[in-house]
Amino acid sequence: MALIVRPADTPSLAAQSIGIFTSDVPDPLAPTQDERRRPVTLGADISFQYPIQYNIQTLSSKDVEHGDDPFGLLFVPALQSDACKKAEAAFVPANATRIQNIPRNGDSYALIGFAPWFSPPCMLEYFQSVRKSDVKAVIVYQPGNSTDMPPIMNDASWGLGDGGTWKVDNDFPTYAIMAASGGIIMEELSLYSGNITDVPQSDDLLDIGLEPTDYVRLYATVATDSGTQLPSLWVFLVIVLGILILIILATSGFMHFIQRRRRNDLRRRVINGEVNLEALGVKRLTVPREFLEKLPLYTYSVLPAGSDHEKTVPQPPAQAHNLPSPTIEAETGVKTLPLTRRSSAPIATAPPTDTSPAFSQPTCPICLEDFESNETQVRELPCRHIFHPDCIDTFLISNSSLCPMCKESVLPGGYCPAKITNVMVRRERLIRRMQSRGTTHAASEPASSRSPSSLPRPLGSLGHRIGGAIAGRRVFSAPERRRSQPLDIEMGTSQAGTRSEPSAALPHHQAEASPAGSQIQDGAGCSEPTTQNRREWARERALALLGNNHIPTESDEEDRGPRWKRGIRKIFPGFR
Amino acid sequence: MSTKRIMKEYGECVADTPEGMKINFDENKITKWEVLLDGPDQSVYALPEVLSVSVRQGGHFKLEISFPPEYPFKPPVVSFKTKIYHPNVSNDDKGSMCLGLLRAEEWKPPNKVVAVLRLIQTLLIEPNPDDAIEPSIANDYKENYKEFEKTAKEWVKRYAK
Repeated sequence: MALIVRPADTPSLAAQSIGIFTSDVPDPLAPTQDERRRPVTLGADISFQYPIQYNIQTLSSKDVEHGDDPFGLLFVPALQSDACKKAEAAFVPANATRIQNIPRNGDSYALIGFAPWFSPPCMLEYFQSVRKSDVKAVIVYQPGNSTDMPPIMNDASWGLGDGGTWKVDNDFPTYAIMAASGGIIMEELSLYSGNITDVPQSDDLLDIGLEPTDYVRLYATVATDSGTQLPSLWVFLVIVLGILILIILATSGFMHFIQRRRRNDLRRRVINGEVNLEALGVKRLTVPREFLEKLPLYTYSVLPAGSDHEKTVPQPPAQAHNLPSPTIEAETGVKTLPLTRRSSAPIATAPPTDTSPAFSQPTCPICLEDFESNETQVRELPCRHIFHPDCIDTFLISNSSLCPMCKESVLPGGYCPAKITNVMVRRERLIRRMQSRGTTHAASEPASSRSPSSLPRPLGSLGHRIGGAIAGRRVFSAPERRRSQPLDIEMGTSQAGTRSEPSAALPHHQAEASPAGSQIQDGAGCSEPTTQNRREWARERALALLGNNHIPTESDEEDRGPRWKRGIRKIFPGFR
Repeated sequence: MSTKRIMKEYGECVADTPEGMKINFDENKITKWEVLLDGPDQSVYALPEVLSVSVRQGGHFKLEISFPPEYPFKPPVVSFKTKIYHPNVSNDDKGSMCLGLLRAEEWKPPNKVVAVLRLIQTLLIEPNPDDAIEPSIANDYKENYKEFEKTAKEWVKRYAK
């Protein structure tokens, strides 16, 4: 509220009521006086009382504070010029209470000036003299018999020909009351101006024990209150603005809170191994060196019972930690299905005795160099694929944490990247939502939905959204020409071919053969989509070709968009 | 490492070149392969029969496959040197193609050039309008296949003889 800028002449503390009472004021100079006697308000039955509840116009509310309502003994200020004194005689009785009629005790008694507003120059003189006597307020009235509301503050009749500077010069508020009340009070002021014996009902007053030296005078209290008045436009605007800011702050705080909880939740799930960020395509992870060092490194050997004792060692541990990690993976849902499927291709072609799948790989899939028995050092990943350490280390450190062959994570289950960002949270949630939608679909779909292409669907949809946002040109739609469908199968096989390519141990067509067969089955399932699944089918086909595209880089989304959008994301995390 | 691997892959490609392809390999610049590709028979990119009555050979497309220094960790870059009316090939002097396993995020080191070549062939037979680099062509392909076919054939006649 300190912000309120109020035009100088807008009264915010308007007078709500004015009460005129009669008060017994001890004479501080009387020698017999008990110093501790204080002014007493006299009862209505023995003195003048005049409450004014309405038709009060506040002309100036200068120097009035809340809880500091003006009050004081009434008096008519003195005039300077003879002309004004002469004019005043028509409105002010000769014996009206003047400043000389108020007992002086230093400045201990508060004063309120009371004057008829009969001419601007004389009013200026009134104010001038009032300013000398340190009053709490001035009450004025325009002489007459009117019982109407006095003119409003800006009315021309309140002009003093000085452009309103009198309001600034005065260090007290000014209130106007209706003409009739003014006349009555002025009349009373002339009655209560002399000795106690001269005032009305003086006998009664003396009877109740007032001292003969006391002064009986009128005093006024002004009750100010802005409560019932409508706040000005400014106040209203400020209040609205304040509420708005409050709402924004609350929303922002709430969203930050929610986002924080989601981040923590995601972190917890990542640590528990329920979620693999990279497999989901949420974030590209790389493998820190310390994890890399822990991966088994040994000399490649084709002989099942070679002289190299190291060769036998990695085998059981490899199996040992092969087991837990896929089961953990299995909980992440759809992802593992195609994974096991795909990885099963090379394993299936391995010798049925299966001494160790690792040794069915005579070639490093990255540099395509053959491993030399008993010579080449190889690194084995948890999925039991082996590579040259130089090749795979480069890949894991700088490219991805997933095995290039089967996309199984190399990182231990509970590994969590240092910082979970809001973008990651958003993607993960999106993917999860898509997946839950996908599983409900899958129930009604033929086996084809469980083909590898069912994996990229949610990811692809994410990609679709992101890609769509970037380029705005990727549109999924139902296929329109049946004739293209057999070709799709061909496409599928070639796709499968590229995917199973890594089984470099075998010649191409052979490697292709087994997955291709299953792919054709999938394709056959695809080739007769029911009408309501057409769209879905087309999307899957497209996505199979695309793969899980767009593992976005860190800066992909956070830094995208204009500055204001980034700002909004900062204030409202989770805002899209 | 990339040099060795490219050499090795070239060997494989020579031994088992996909049908309708020819690879021009320059020993001095092994990171840039020039591939001559015939439009597959089933596709609209085969040369119109009028021009090839006896030999049903497709339109001839020149491609360039360049290998980045980070190969095989980064995918090779495919660009059509011959203009082609295809939703997945950019219609400019670059003629770039970028989808599926050619995407940086999707590329895996074990993928090989042969796979890339097969992908290109497959895409000529069956364009993927849903991941188009040229939306207008994709739209043509989806909404107005007749028109698409006509334009594509015209372009083959004009550019890919």
